Amino acid sequence: MIIENGGKKLIRDRVGLGWRRELAVGVLSHLDRIDVVEVIADDLFDAPRGERRALRALAAQTAVVLHGVSLGLASSIPVKTKLLEKTARLCEEVNPEHWSEHLAFVRGGGVEIGHLTAPPRTEATIEGAASNLERARTVVGSAPLVENIATLIDPPGSDYDEIDWINKVIDLSPSDLLLDLHNLHANATNFGYDAVEFLKRLPAERIIAVHLAGGKWVEALGERRLLDDHLHDVPDVVYRLLTELAAVVPNPLTVILERDGAYPPIEVLLRQLDRAREALAEGRLRQFEQIEKEAA
Amino acid sequence: MSAARLEAFLAKIYVDEDSRERFLADPRGEAAKAGLNEQEIGALEKIDRAGLILTAQSLQKKRRRLSGKKSNQI
Repeated sequence: MIIENGGKKLIRDRVGLGWRRELAVGVLSHLDRIDVVEVIADDLFDAPRGERRALRALAAQTAVVLHGVSLGLASSIPVKTKLLEKTARLCEEVNPEHWSEHLAFVRGGGVEIGHLTAPPRTEATIEGAASNLERARTVVGSAPLVENIATLIDPPGSDYDEIDWINKVIDLSPSDLLLDLHNLHANATNFGYDAVEFLKRLPAERIIAVHLAGGKWVEALGERRLLDDHLHDVPDVVYRLLTELAAVVPNPLTVILERDGAYPPIEVLLRQLDRAREALAEGRLRQFEQIEKEAA
Repeated sequence: MSAARLEAFLAKIYVDEDSRERFLADPRGEAAKAGLNEQEIGALEKIDRAGLILTAQSLQKKRRRLSGKKSNQI
């Protein structure tokens, strides 16, 4: 959406928070400062009717988006139809503005990994992901946004680097991108590439949503890696990446702050949302100055 | 088919400590036993060991944190 403000056209980005039970009171009492709420879909697949009713009530008060964690779409293995059907039912009930999932594999050979892991970046997982995303669109009725994931290991057996692999998946699939900027920062730090250059190589017009989070350093065998743990505040570098992104992306962005524990007072999280708005505004201003310069 | 076998092998060494220890002691032997092709075996011989250990630790912590806990009940 583009709005007029004092004769200047501005893109209307929105900034919100991931719904967590521990944050419920804070979120519900500050909906005037939270534009959108992201709810984890999987926990609600088999939830009692009361909980699903509460989700619908939340969706009546504010914009809601759904985020999945267990489909394992980036895999040479076909996605489980049952999970897609549960996603479809939830989407039908809640009518979210969008739903999203990760470019991750979460199971293989009957082993449930229990969390998101980076698949080998190969032709097989590119084709598998594209096929799974098409299937998701067919069953759910809309394609998910897909999110880049953080990894502590460069996936063994890969033929592509991360940027080429993501671009190939996006190119072949109906899905647009949910760009997690802390995941990007962590992978860039751990595997020695430039996060801003990575951003520049993504198709800007396919980026619709953003995740922000924090992390910490971990160490093994004398090597340090940055872990995306969602337990720490958003670092400055991630806000700077948000500004860089807002300077080039043409679409309005839905930006979600993810926090999964070590919860600070809600005011601290709200200040991080305000900081994200400032970062977005700075990037948007740069974009419009560039457009005006090119038009002059 | 081999792609699925590689994913299955990775899932196992990420999650199961015994499998991981056997693999780290003999990457080629364990990968060959799983039916992986020569290219995949070669890649696994060069695996980033620090990354593997940290991935396994992180997954274990996350699984523990999530087990029995719904993070977002409305």
